[in-house]
Formats: sequence, C-alpha cells, structure tokens
Amino acid sequence: MSFQRFVRKEMLPLGWCLGCGLHTLFYSTCEVLDKLNKTNTVVVSGIGCTGRGAAYFNLDSVHGIHGRAIPLAVGIKKVNPKLNVMVFSGDGDLLGIGGNHLIHAARRSDNITVICNNNEVFAMTGGQLSPTTRIGGITITTPKGNIVQPINTQGILLSNKKYFYARTSPVFKEHLKKCLKEALEYKGFSFVEVISPCIINYARKMGKNVADVFKEIKKTYKICEENRALKDNEIGIVKND
Amino acid sequence: MKKKLLSGNEAIVEGALTAGLEFFSSYPITPASEIMQGIVKKQVELKNLKFIQGEDEIASINMCIGASLAGAKAMTATSSPGFSLKQESIGVSFKFGAPLVVVDCQRVGPSTGMPTLGSQSDILQAKHGSHGDYINIVFYPNSVEECYKYTIESMNAAEDSLSPIILLTDGIISHMYETVDLEKIKYSIKKRKLKPLGEGKRHFTGLTSEDGIPKTKDSTVYRKWYEKRKKEILDVSKKYNFYEYIENKKSNTLLIAYGISSRVILSLKENYSIFRPIRLFPIIEELREIAKKYSKIIVIEMNDGQYKNELEAFLKRDIKLITQLGGKISLKEIESELSKIC
Repeated sequence: MSFQRFVRKEMLPLGWCLGCGLHTLFYSTCEVLDKLNKTNTVVVSGIGCTGRGAAYFNLDSVHGIHGRAIPLAVGIKKVNPKLNVMVFSGDGDLLGIGGNHLIHAARRSDNITVICNNNEVFAMTGGQLSPTTRIGGITITTPKGNIVQPINTQGILLSNKKYFYARTSPVFKEHLKKCLKEALEYKGFSFVEVISPCIINYARKMGKNVADVFKEIKKTYKICEENRALKDNEIGIVKND
Repeated sequence: MKKKLLSGNEAIVEGALTAGLEFFSSYPITPASEIMQGIVKKQVELKNLKFIQGEDEIASINMCIGASLAGAKAMTATSSPGFSLKQESIGVSFKFGAPLVVVDCQRVGPSTGMPTLGSQSDILQAKHGSHGDYINIVFYPNSVEECYKYTIESMNAAEDSLSPIILLTDGIISHMYETVDLEKIKYSIKKRKLKPLGEGKRHFTGLTSEDGIPKTKDSTVYRKWYEKRKKEILDVSKKYNFYEYIENKKSNTLLIAYGISSRVILSLKENYSIFRPIRLFPIIEELREIAKKYSKIIVIEMNDGQYKNELEAFLKRDIKLITQLGGKISLKEIESELSKIC
C-alpha cells in the first residue's frame, strides 16, 4: 500500500503555489492515512487555499461554504460514527468566520479531527489580515503592520476539560506526521495547527523569500516533548483525556 | 379513528417522523422552538432519531446538510431571523444536491421585530433568499392537519428533487391547536436515492464543477448544470401541485390568500371565489387559466405585497392588495378594505 491511494490523480498537479507548505501537509496527511489504513475517511473543508484540499483526497469529500466545515463534519459523524471525519481547512475559515463552531465543537468534544493550516493571512483573496497574523505582520489591510494580537488557538482548546491540541509545521515533517497520527487516533475533538506562512501573499510583503520563511520557522520553534501548554516558540502535543 | 389535540408545530414533528426523519438540528427561536422540543421528546422512544442543538442557526443547517450527505433524512426549523441566517447554506444544499427540509415559522420583522406575533413576510426569502441561480419548492399549509400532511410531502419532495425544500408556517399556524385525526391522512413515503458518504469517492463542492472536478471559469459547464438542475426541480414540483380553488359562480373577483390569511378569509367564499396556493413556489400553473375568469384579483397577505408582486409578474396583469401588517389579522379589516376595492 502507498500513500498514493489517498491522492486523487485527476486533480494533479495540485492547485497550490509551488513551495507552499500545503503540499507537504497534504502528502503527509495521505501518508498517515495510509499508515493507519483510514480508508473510511470523509474529508470536509471550507473556503480558501487549504479548503481546496478536500478535492485532492481520493475519498468522499465535502467542500462547504466559508467557515462551516466543522458543523458539516459534526453532522456527518453523528449520523455515521463509523466514519473517520477529518476537517482540512485554513485559519481564516476555522478561526475567523467559523470561530464559533470551533469553540463549541471543542466544548462538546465532538469526535472529529481538525487540521488547520495556519498561513497567517487570507491568502486566496490576496493576503488580508487574518485572526492569526502576528503583531507587525504586513498585509494588504495592515500596510503599516498589524497592531492587534493574534488569536490564542491553544487557549480556546485548553479552556476545556478534555482537549487535544497540537502545534506543528511542515518544516518539521516527522513531527507533523506524529501530530497527525495522534490526532487521528484520538477519541474526541482533536485540533492540529500547522504553522505554514503563505509564501506569496504574506512572505513577499514582509520582504522574505520562501527559504527565509522556512528557515525562520526552523530557528524559532523548539519541539516540546512534555504534555503541557506550549509556549509561543514551541511545537508539540498537549492533551487531556 | 384516533383524534389528537395538536399544535401546528407538534404536527410538523409528527409528519417529519412519519416521513422517516433521522436527523434534526436547530437553534432556539420563537415561535419555532416547539418543533425542536417535540423532537427531543420523541427521542425517548426512537433510538435512531439523532438530534443536536446547534450552537447557532448556521451550524444547525450545516449539521443537517452533513447528516443528509451521510445518509439521514434531515430537517431544521427556525423563524424569520434564523431563516435569513440559513440562506447561504440553503444555496449550498441546492448545489450539493443534499435533500433537506427547512421549516420557517414566520414572525414579524425586520430584525427582532415582534417575536411572538405571526407574519407572512418571508415569502421572497423563501423563494430566493440565497445568492446565485437556484429554484426552491415552497409549501405553506394552513391548518394543523395540513402541517402534518405537508411536512411529509416536503420530506418526499426533498428526496425526489435532491434539494432543500422550504416549509413555511407562521406564528399563528405554528401555535394553533386543533383536533386532528392523523390516521385518516393518506401518504406515501419516498426512499433515499442519494448514496451516503463513505461509499464512494465523490467530491461535493460549492464550486461550479463537472463530475466533482472544479470548473470555475467555464460558463458552459455552469449553464449546462443550471439548466439540468432547474428542469429537475420543475419536473418534481409538478408532482406536488397542491392548491385549493373555491369557485363562486356569482363572483367576478378572485381572492388569493395562503397560510393563516386563507383561514381567516374562508367565510368570504359566500361572496367571492378563493384561490389558495399550498405550493407557493414554483407558482401553480393552473392559476393562469383560473385567473382568466375574473375581472378583479385581490391578494390578501400579512406582508407588503410580496406574493402579489410575484403573481403580477406571473399573470402579467394588475392585482390589488390587502395587507395585514404588524402581526394582526382581522376579517373585519379585510372586509372593510374589500368594500373599498369592490
């Protein structure tokens, strides 16, 4: 068996920009699905670059309206609990317009896995400020730099008694796969935040090239092996059953 | 014969379950909440009936769409402000071909308006509240018995057309109690034809696409898709051609009313002919012939002419309007308005 059985061949080449971390995230997800033999998976997505990903999986998939991937997934899981229901969407979709659904699905601990590609902007629409843009981030709508603090995704998840939150990045590929595997095996609501800044509509405006972006992530983030709240410069898995 | 005292909302619950409802999600709102409460009560005896109280109106309809794609007959219920919030999702349900019933118990708006008072002011948003090209089948019963019957028909039409069906009521019909004998109502039940998620490698997308492959810059694909979809819905709607026509040979005036207004004006049949659409949209084709017999047509509705304007465009002639706004409907007022027109 190979991860390729999870790739929808008709969709190649994938629509994402060359060099975007989404390629690594997508193929890593396929590898993990292959390893876990999760052929009963349904992928649900919302709108944006990452949202297009649902179509790339060789599985039943649903590409809904902006921000509503989580409730679609929750409805699917409720009707057929045997399905492995996985949301594959971006930060604008899941943390911005769809933020309310995240809060409540995490609170209910709905048994689905959410993979959130955090590219730190609304990339597909040209690079506007998103809830995850860092302070100082230059976007089309914050040309002098963002002055508002980004959303605390980990905080939203950890405010519940039961939670699974992982932070990782395509730059740390093995760590990424570990997070995806544990998230997919977790019983309850699992959330994987994948730090992967947009290389075109964000990095360029910040005066960086692709290599700079990924080098910076490699330099900034340290892997935390302990099960505790992650610091801003850490990646890792935090969970409580 | 087994008579029961039921409200309109309770009859909707009974109808949905008779039609095979398997999933319900909704968000509390007056005057629709009794439908959700009714479903929860039924869960005690029906283990296969799944329910989630959504965190908001948009969540609840999207849960229903997910449930529908996963293989369950699904329904959501709301009232006017919630119906507005659900509109974008009604569009995606049409796009996916996900069968679904959306109940809207209308109340007075705009905004929070008069929450406990009935209204008929969602006629246009029932017809076309979402964006883009799509068509809806819209039903509007006028009694508790009909709430039961047309909930079943709505669920059937959803399966037949693979689309969202709008079932309108109003605060009055929803909360009105009547004695009904549900056992005497005849119905048939449509089976699922959409293969549930997990059994294929299909891609349901809101994007314009062909065989699941997005084609977002190809106008020919869009036109072909819409033409086909429109024909499907129109063909299905012909099987649900529900209306009531009370002919009064002495009258040259045709009164048109639906839902609660048709109940209120029923006694006027002594002096006028009455046409009552139960399927509001697509507009009943027979009305074209019926209308020809009358020199005057008057629409009586609890909004500022929403259906009247639709009918004027449909019949291509002037139609008079009697409005009953702000949640109050009175036969006396209607009769006085009528005497000014006729």
